[in-house]
Amino acid sequence: MKLGQEGARQHWAWIALIGLTLAVLGARDSLDALMVFPDAWVLPMTDWFNAGMDVVVAQTGSFFRGVSAAMSVPMGWIRGLLQWMPWALTISLLALASFAVSGWKLALFTALATFYMVLIGYWPESMNSLSLVVMSVPMAVVIGFFIGTAAYYSARADHIVSPTMDVLQTIPVFAYLLPILLLFGFGPVVGLIASILYAVPPMVRNTTLGLRRVDPEVIEAGMMAGASPSQMFWRVRVPSALQQILLGINQTMMAAFSMVIIASIIGGTADIGWEVLSTMRKAEFGESILAGIVIALMAMVMDRMTARVATAQTPGDAPEGLWARYRYWIIAVGMTLAILLLSRTFPFLQRYPEAWEVYPAQMLNNWLTFVLVEYADTIKSIKTLSLFYIMLPVKMGLEQTVSPFSWGFALTPSLKMGYAGLALALAGWLWFCGRINVALLVAGLAILFYFGLTRLPWPSVMGVLILLAWQAGGMRLALGAGLGMAFLLLVGVWPQAMLSLYLCGIAVVLSFMLGTVLGILASENETFSAVLRPINDTLQTMPPFVLLIPFVMIFKLGDFTALLAIISYAIVPAIRYAEHGLRNISPEVIEAAKASGATRWQILWRVRLPLAAPQLMLGLNQTIMYGIAMLVIAALVGTNGLGQRVYIGLSNGDFGTGMIAGIGMAIIAMIADRMTQAYSRKVQPAAR
Amino acid sequence: MTTRISLAAGLALGLASAFSASADSSDPIRIPINEWTGQHISAYITGSLFKKAGYEVEYVTAGAVPQFIALANGDLHVQPEVWTNNVGEIYPKAVESGDILVLGQLGLKPQEGWIYPPYMEEMCPGLPAYEALYDCAQAFAAADTFPKGRLITYPADWGTRSKDVVAQIDLPFEPVAGGSEGAMIAEVKSAVATKDPLLMMFWQPHWLFAEEEFNWVAWDPADGECVEEEGQTRGDACGFQQASIDKIANISFKKNYPGAFALYQAIEIDNDTQNALMLEIDQKGRDLEEVVAEWIDANEAVWSPWVEAGMAAKK
Repeated sequence: MKLGQEGARQHWAWIALIGLTLAVLGARDSLDALMVFPDAWVLPMTDWFNAGMDVVVAQTGSFFRGVSAAMSVPMGWIRGLLQWMPWALTISLLALASFAVSGWKLALFTALATFYMVLIGYWPESMNSLSLVVMSVPMAVVIGFFIGTAAYYSARADHIVSPTMDVLQTIPVFAYLLPILLLFGFGPVVGLIASILYAVPPMVRNTTLGLRRVDPEVIEAGMMAGASPSQMFWRVRVPSALQQILLGINQTMMAAFSMVIIASIIGGTADIGWEVLSTMRKAEFGESILAGIVIALMAMVMDRMTARVATAQTPGDAPEGLWARYRYWIIAVGMTLAILLLSRTFPFLQRYPEAWEVYPAQMLNNWLTFVLVEYADTIKSIKTLSLFYIMLPVKMGLEQTVSPFSWGFALTPSLKMGYAGLALALAGWLWFCGRINVALLVAGLAILFYFGLTRLPWPSVMGVLILLAWQAGGMRLALGAGLGMAFLLLVGVWPQAMLSLYLCGIAVVLSFMLGTVLGILASENETFSAVLRPINDTLQTMPPFVLLIPFVMIFKLGDFTALLAIISYAIVPAIRYAEHGLRNISPEVIEAAKASGATRWQILWRVRLPLAAPQLMLGLNQTIMYGIAMLVIAALVGTNGLGQRVYIGLSNGDFGTGMIAGIGMAIIAMIADRMTQAYSRKVQPAAR
Repeated sequence: MTTRISLAAGLALGLASAFSASADSSDPIRIPINEWTGQHISAYITGSLFKKAGYEVEYVTAGAVPQFIALANGDLHVQPEVWTNNVGEIYPKAVESGDILVLGQLGLKPQEGWIYPPYMEEMCPGLPAYEALYDCAQAFAAADTFPKGRLITYPADWGTRSKDVVAQIDLPFEPVAGGSEGAMIAEVKSAVATKDPLLMMFWQPHWLFAEEEFNWVAWDPADGECVEEEGQTRGDACGFQQASIDKIANISFKKNYPGAFALYQAIEIDNDTQNALMLEIDQKGRDLEEVVAEWIDANEAVWSPWVEAGMAAKK
């Protein structure tokens, strides 16, 4: 059996790797080059990047400045229009649109959500943010549609487009902020360009995917009917792929919303993102939450509306008659005229009076202070426990962590022997029982916890990832992973990459475990699911910057706070995919299991979880992506790692440094993405 | 086709704005607004005086890093309050390349160093002398730094100044990077609320000092200017070189707005002025523009010579 043979080969490879690692660690004092990658081998990539950028800016600067000037004109119009419209009118039109696509429930939600912006006095700022999205989404959709179509028709184009989209999505925007500023100048348009760059990839992906998924029979029918190539495209392929394309628009819109804050960092926006930044800089918890909620609500409204359009059944024949067909447009025009007239007599419909605003920031601040003072001891012990027993061991190893102060005793030679003996005995016993993979895992973890990720020799870390890639996706993936890591070594960011890996790794493992448990509970309990959903929505759409302030206030600066910030963002996909996967199992399978006398636990472990495995793996994939995306933001609370390098590059005006750190993060993300996807494909046939 | 036309129009627009600059341009003077109140005050005072001299002014929100690129290429014109301590290499680079002109100091006297809340003096009686820190490092310790004390430094992208000093004078403290200004202030607020130990690199004038009381760690007197990078030892440690707060402008500002340039050169704002206005805005929650307008009305004697200098140079 081929599989068995390969399995045995892999086991020996793992054992060899473990043996070599231990040998290197045993002689680590004389093997410096294997412990720390020598500086002399590092390539001056930073300088190359900077030199290249200087040339690009000098050659093409004026062209891009022209583009920027041209784009600022329609941007100004949209801003002007949204600012001019009375708030009452904007809210009514949005509610009407929600009613048209969905119904009363969404219309009510839209009206309340937008009224919140009026109520707390952030209406003008909110409209400036909205104008950014209103402007960037159509442009991203059009650009993405054409690139996606090109990738569909030409395999060569696809080979370029697909990795480019990966890079655009995984590289942190801060890494290319500097070149964008140098090329396009300064102001709201630059924010617009950054958000288009970030929002294009989902559109490209969904367009290509949608076109590929068109039923061949439909195409055949089109051919038979004698359609011309352009008719084939616009009348046959695009309508059949429409649902996927609409999903792409929905995701593009969400991506554009997540860029609101970044656009404000660039400047010139005077929008809600700027409010979030200013309140964050002053560490005003209540104020920043209130402003952050505006962005979250706006994103939720737009998400509901576009998602609804994307999932709606394609309408049959258009209804007869002028009124039936255009009723919403007629109502919209009538409403506009009525409100414009009314707002002449009642100016409060135009500008909401300041005296009627409600701004409960102080209350929120007082509440946070109360929690801080009241639960100070609990908070401190939670932090200490996780630092001493989880984070520091993974980072620096038990060897460095165990001391009378932290664990209550010193790590004596006999304890070390005991640890090694215990690990060896456990691994040996598992091996003997035939659970070879688990035995290898135990041995590997024992080494990791003892020496710590940042103190392992670099060839070992590389070896582990290459072997994992080999197991998941074969030689090609192993080669890709190896090359990616070689890049990290050669440009000299390996130590920072390990710090990022440590933080992100713990966050992902905890998010995935906790998220899956919550997902299981939510799949079994409707009430719990209903409670969890708005929390998930908020965590996902709230600008992650806002989460930092309360976490710092409660847990102080440092890795632990960063960890919590990452988890609070990365846990959402883990919950969502687990719940979704478990809910989609056909009830008959469960019934059959029940009939055969399985207990609840058995059904969960033996039936439901294995059946949901592909979905769980996708959830893990997304958890990792979200975790890596949060690294840059977590650097704002004082972590060291690739995220911090990005800021150092930015504030030193050093494009190369930031870009290399950004590419490093993209590489880690892509390796993780390919590996989890390959695993996901592997578990798929087994589960069916 | 339409894209090509709008592109050409855009290019023309860009070129027009680049060449339309003759004596005393009528385009508005663009002033960046950063994320903190002190800078808002300096920017609005400067802007209001430009208006008094007959110029149009536009205030533009801008992040700390992007503003230098905008100032270098002329999208923004003046920035009256640049803190040289927290701008990274990007600012000196822009000055060196000749795109940004430094007009000298605004008049604010900054102080930088290590601060602690007064209740720390009970836990560490020798304070404010830095010598006391050697013996009571444990009073400042946290779980992740024990037995060393915990010192919060500036964010990593502002440089490694505290770390250098700690290393030179061999202080048993572990520097922890502050991450960002917001995070540092969050840490302060939380420490003060729970009476937790705190030692942190910080600066003033800052609105934080209007809200809470802090003391400064005292250093040995320096021989002339303090050199912080090297040569400090226990017993002869001068601490930190003090930052300066600069008025800067785009290089062509002088040519395009000679009157405003002369006015800008004359402007001075001191700590007392800024602190007084900051108190009104941050503590009493009043509107920025209203507070600045009030100051302008009450201090004509202070600013009228500046505006006169500007009017005299205006063409």
